[in-house]
Amino acid sequence: MRYYARKLAFYLVAFWAAVTLNFFIPRLMPGNPVDILMAKLAQRGGTVDPAARRAYELLLGSGSDESLLSQYFAYLGTMFRGDLGVSVSSFPTPVSEIIADALPWTLVLVGIATFLSFALGVVLGTLVGWRRGTWLDSLVPATTVLAAVPYFWLALILVALLASGLGWFPLLGGYDVVLSPGWDLEFLGSAVYHGTLPALTIVLSSVGGWLLGMRNMMVSTTSEDYVLTAKAKGLRDSRIMIRYAARNAVLPSVAGFAISLGFVVAGSIITEQVFSYPGIGSKLLQAVQNNDYALMQGIFLVITVAVLGANLVVDLLYAVIDPRTRVSG
Amino acid sequence: MFLKAKRSRAVAAGVAALAMLATACGGSSTSAGGDGTLVVYTGQSGDWQLNFNPFSPTALEGPGTIFEPLFFYNNIRDVEPRPRLGKTFTWNSDGTQLDVELRDDAKWTDGQKFTADDVVFTLDMVTKNAAMNGTGYKGTATAVDPTHVSIKFPEPSFMEGPQILGRIWMVPKHKWSGLATPATDVVKEPVGTGPFQLDDFKAQAFTLKANPNYYAGEPALKKVRYLALSGNQSGEAALRAGQIDWQTGPVPDIKNVEKNYPGYKAITIPMNQVALFTCSNAALGCAGPQTDVAVRKAVYYAVNRTQINQLAFENTAGEISPGAALLERDRDQVSTKLKEKTAPMQPDEAKATSLLEGAGYTKGADGIYQKDGKPLALTLKVVAGWTDYITAVETMSQQLQKVGIKITPQQLSWNEWSDARGRGQYELLIDALHQGPAPDPFYNASYFYSTATTAKVGEIANPNFARVSDPAIDAALAALKGIDPKDDAKRQPHFDTIQTRIEELVPYIPILTGGTTSEFNAKKFTGWPTKEDLYAFPAVWARPEHSEIFLKLKPAS
Repeated sequence: MRYYARKLAFYLVAFWAAVTLNFFIPRLMPGNPVDILMAKLAQRGGTVDPAARRAYELLLGSGSDESLLSQYFAYLGTMFRGDLGVSVSSFPTPVSEIIADALPWTLVLVGIATFLSFALGVVLGTLVGWRRGTWLDSLVPATTVLAAVPYFWLALILVALLASGLGWFPLLGGYDVVLSPGWDLEFLGSAVYHGTLPALTIVLSSVGGWLLGMRNMMVSTTSEDYVLTAKAKGLRDSRIMIRYAARNAVLPSVAGFAISLGFVVAGSIITEQVFSYPGIGSKLLQAVQNNDYALMQGIFLVITVAVLGANLVVDLLYAVIDPRTRVSG
Repeated sequence: MFLKAKRSRAVAAGVAALAMLATACGGSSTSAGGDGTLVVYTGQSGDWQLNFNPFSPTALEGPGTIFEPLFFYNNIRDVEPRPRLGKTFTWNSDGTQLDVELRDDAKWTDGQKFTADDVVFTLDMVTKNAAMNGTGYKGTATAVDPTHVSIKFPEPSFMEGPQILGRIWMVPKHKWSGLATPATDVVKEPVGTGPFQLDDFKAQAFTLKANPNYYAGEPALKKVRYLALSGNQSGEAALRAGQIDWQTGPVPDIKNVEKNYPGYKAITIPMNQVALFTCSNAALGCAGPQTDVAVRKAVYYAVNRTQINQLAFENTAGEISPGAALLERDRDQVSTKLKEKTAPMQPDEAKATSLLEGAGYTKGADGIYQKDGKPLALTLKVVAGWTDYITAVETMSQQLQKVGIKITPQQLSWNEWSDARGRGQYELLIDALHQGPAPDPFYNASYFYSTATTAKVGEIANPNFARVSDPAIDAALAALKGIDPKDDAKRQPHFDTIQTRIEELVPYIPILTGGTTSEFNAKKFTGWPTKEDLYAFPAVWARPEHSEIFLKLKPAS
């Protein structure tokens, strides 16, 4: 029990630190949202009267002379009430609404892609590790090269090849714009079709990491005594591979997978940028580009909670999965 | 074995399903289809957040299309304002009263009649809600009868006309009087008098449809769809794929748009004066060699504008007047008293060096001029990612090195750059000056050269960033506010004063007049603006200009 209390206390402190940094870092940046708004309008509407500046300061309430500290306490207060404030870049939409709109897209796209690359990596890693020294070993450098290629470049190559060149996939967007989002077959089909290429990019570039980790663990478990014993008993090869070796080798990957699930929430900014995907990553970029403090804080808060939560779950579950940690804990 | 067979069947089924989807969407209905819908891209990155409040800085759409101004001011051609909801307007002799006659046949899209009450309500709302008053309106409006409105001002306000008549969007009293907070309401179901109305809204695209009861007849263009993409990169890709019909922004190889994008045409309009902003005024706290007018003039003569145009702007930029008026649009107001009609396109190194030597600079051993033991070295701030400006800056620093002026380009994030610009904490930076709501050089001068719009170094200027504070310019601007804009003879002496003073001071060192380029689908639609017939500034994000263009477009089938 002491172990759990200590863990929880640690996570609370980490959460407070993250939230505090989350508040102060954006405010240490130069520039302010009104300037950005004015510049955007000057680019978009051609002319901006100097009178507009005062109007927007009043509108966004950014001309206030409140001290940073009182702003900080106000921020903590509203945050615990679940009120994340109003976004400046999509004024006057509440931040919680923007996040609620964008999060499902990211969760589904990045979630499924992460799961697929994990499953694929573990299965391939098991095979490659089991048959080490055969031609299968060449899968390791092949996939790690894909992981090492700059991500946006890989995405752009895929777009150039499969979308622009061959026209197999749509160029951009999360769904066909003529459809209304809903739970009908046509829309879901369109969403799947639009999501294939971004998902493929994520899978291609992250499968290598899982594969390498799994293969190396396989190699070390296959040299364990119990595997030798199993072989001596004359068990089928596939049974030994799956039930004896892989089962033990997969433990570290499972922990890694749980943590990367936490990062799913952060989306992948680059994928969403390249494919104009309507997820949380593109919203985060929008927030940073517009000095939209409220939206930045809201998104970082969601990410922080997700990552800390995933870590906590792993910490607590690991004791269940791997009996050895329970003994020392 | 059995397992394997099952798995490969599942894979085959998956592939088949994908293939079916691929063929089903093969025609990709997002493409600029044959249904006469105009697909535009305004540079929006990320999803649309519903907001059809025309007074909101984040409004998606509305000014000109759904909600109309009283008149349309063409800000690139010196022509009379075109009536929209207004028919005629007259000022009294000293510019303190503006009388407007309204149309009597306009209707809101819910069927109610548009009257003078709506105009007075709108103007009063802007007065009551300072956060909506982006035009600086200070008048008091009264309805004389259903088709006449009279607006009184506390001071001569001739120059406020275009803002009030052309940039305040009329809203229905019967709908808006019930709004608790009109400044922040997102107006989910906009009701306007304009040629278009909202058809449907989705986060990735929204559509306007023609208003069948528009007083000037239903527009020939039936639908306009606005896409949300992730930025200019994806805009360019969508243009290449023929998925958008109109966008504004540079594309690679601008010269050959018609060859690279079959059916499309491009138009480039010189509008923004690209200049080296200098923190010029030591009295307001500026520091550095650029506070010496001789140094600013030496830079002005030493840069090779032809080369900059070629290397940085693909030769799309045009000449620039040293008096800050637009050469083509303001040709009647460009002062004849200027020493040079346009900034020289070729460098004059002899003139630059003689200016510097006259100001007490001597050439050092390293070929850089110096004074009091300090070398003539300046930093030039530019926004990281603005590739054309970065090229221009690099080119200039090499050109000026030859004359003996050391320029150090500095790339900053937009935020840092804009903060330095606002507070005057810079020596040189590259940016463009913008114009006002009407084809009149007064606005540009009143924004960027008047004491009223500047501030001490350390405080934010809005937007006189060069810290110009000149009694002669201020007096001329004040005089212009009290002269009827139709009275050219009376106005010209003041324009002469402003332009000659600007030429003497060179607070913003003129480089070139930068073009705004748009690409549009000329095969699918006819009626686009041309160089000969510039009835509106053809930028897709220019509001209300875009509504004038929508009104003229016809599907070419």
